[in-house]
Amino acid sequence: MTQKPKYGIGLDLGSTSTKAMLIDRERRVLGSHLLPTGASAVGAAERCLEAIAIQAPIDVSRSITISTGYGRSVIESADRNITEITCHSVGVNHLNPDIRLLIDVGGQDSKVIRIGAKGRPEDFELNDKCSAGTGRFLEVMAGVLEVPLKDFGNLALGSTDPCEISNTCTVFAESEVIGHIGAGKRAEDIAAGIHASMAAKIASLSKRIRSTGPLGLTGGVALNPAFVHYLSIELGEDIWVPEEPQMTGALGAAILALDEGD
Amino acid sequence: MLQQVMFRYMLEGHTASEEGKLAWVTSGFPVEIPQAMGVTSSYPEQYAAVVGSEKVGPTVCGFAEELGYSQELCSYARSGIGSVLHPDDSPLNGLPPPQALLACNNICGTVLRWYDAVSELTEAPVFLLDTPPLDDGQSAHHMRYVKSGIHKLVDFLSKHFGTELEEGRLREVAELSTQAISLWTQCLEACKKRPSPLNCADRFLAMAPVVSMRGTDHIVEYYQALLDEVNHRVREGVGAIRDERIRLLWDNIPPWFNIFKFFNGLAKRGVVFPADTYTHAWSGSISGDDLFESVATIYSNVYLNKGLDAKVDKMCELIEDYNLDGFILFSVRSCKRYSLGQMVSKELVSERTGVPGVIIEGDMVDSRLFNEAQIQTRIDALLEMLL
Ligand code: SF4
Repeated sequence: MTQKPKYGIGLDLGSTSTKAMLIDRERRVLGSHLLPTGASAVGAAERCLEAIAIQAPIDVSRSITISTGYGRSVIESADRNITEITCHSVGVNHLNPDIRLLIDVGGQDSKVIRIGAKGRPEDFELNDKCSAGTGRFLEVMAGVLEVPLKDFGNLALGSTDPCEISNTCTVFAESEVIGHIGAGKRAEDIAAGIHASMAAKIASLSKRIRSTGPLGLTGGVALNPAFVHYLSIELGEDIWVPEEPQMTGALGAAILALDEGD
Repeated sequence: MLQQVMFRYMLEGHTASEEGKLAWVTSGFPVEIPQAMGVTSSYPEQYAAVVGSEKVGPTVCGFAEELGYSQELCSYARSGIGSVLHPDDSPLNGLPPPQALLACNNICGTVLRWYDAVSELTEAPVFLLDTPPLDDGQSAHHMRYVKSGIHKLVDFLSKHFGTELEEGRLREVAELSTQAISLWTQCLEACKKRPSPLNCADRFLAMAPVVSMRGTDHIVEYYQALLDEVNHRVREGVGAIRDERIRLLWDNIPPWFNIFKFFNGLAKRGVVFPADTYTHAWSGSISGDDLFESVATIYSNVYLNKGLDAKVDKMCELIEDYNLDGFILFSVRSCKRYSLGQMVSKELVSERTGVPGVIIEGDMVDSRLFNEAQIQTRIDALLEMLL
């Protein structure tokens, strides 16, 4: 490209949801969209791109697209792909340059990243092998308690006497929860125990990365107030959560797309 | 030339087996002793690497699993046991049958149980040279203990193979072993140069003779030829890969079933591995007045028999001496002894050297335990930090 790109497009193909973001050179967000990934990452990406094209019709030839997330390499229309580790760091750094440790808890994975002063990752740990410590854990448990996932966090916040859930494994924890139900425990207290147990698991992942400095939380699970509450207790620190915690990977990719042309 | 050397190794193994003079040995066994006593060695671990390279790990390991061995057991052990159970369905029709099994636990404790299992199947007796793990250097009583084990080894071999140990012959073998190791070490050290003349896969293959034929004269020739070639490359500025941009350290055994694809894939992106902890494991020369003492020292002080501090020191030393930009720790599901402590090592090595590293998980033989997408993300993220 002889001219500098006017627009950056970031496409984040997560295992649970696909996100797209369009920004201009001033890094203003012109369009953004989120969809469940479903069975086809390519299909979800195309639909996300169509949605942002409607929000902001641009001259696509003046844009650069970077894909990220676990499906990053399957998108042929992307000019390049960059890992979610780097994209999340860049995205979060743009929104809050003070953050030094980022915890991202997605639908099926979780990661902890130490962000350097320049907004790039310096070290990271990834859990993409086990559903415990991911959004999937909460989803399964909400299912057992027959509570819609979106209400699960608020239910937990109503607890007065949280139950103890000692197993972090999704399968074992499920039978423990069933045990509590059988023992007649309140749903609020069981839900609180579940959130606390998951927070402990994530806290232990995050302790593997040494860092001093403010802490941020992203990913779909950051929308759950009870999880944020228990994680902050577990780590003994305040946690910064961006307004749209699911979009930081796509945002970072879009920013990197603009840098690409520089 | 490597192929010829390894072909000869197999051939000699078969001949020795027919003559009743073959022992199977573990990779860290002081093979100079049987060698000096006219007993030939075959290496089940190396054979397991062949199983891995031939991409039949799941099949051959499966034979052992059918008998009840857990998937958690080392895949070298499973390959070893599996190929004894079904030699005809294993690469090269298995290793030639042994008359004795010589295990040294300086690499791990698994080898003893593995050889016990093979002993049940082949009726070859097991000899264990016990080298308790070292934490903070070797004490005098540790040395005495291992040395007494070497005396017992000589008795065992005399009894089973009807041979004697002559000191003169042991000196000859030790000298040849030292020569080969010294040439090999020079090849490794040449990789300090930029561009590095050898990459990881090159070294993993080229190390086969120094593992399996230490103490023979023809491998000295082989390593001399290799060193000439390496020096030539260094003089001409020819690197192992076309465009060297990032230099990394590799820790642990490689994924044999994927070795070329893995390292060549990274080479295309400008990543070379001038050093690794595995091929640097063969060092130390048997010498001095008391040869048994020398053997006891060298074979007790192997990389895997030392504590975590020694491993961390070694990694930091390699990163500094070879001017490396980062490191990859391969957490091998099979080999607990090698992989234990990598999480802590990663933190310590990064802190001390200031370079980033990642841990990737998988196995060296059992390709069922290797998830490419997960490994890719970790390595890509590391490279993004470095570029
Ligand atoms: S456990 Fe490790 S050291 Fe022991 S035989 Fe297996 S690979 Fe070798």
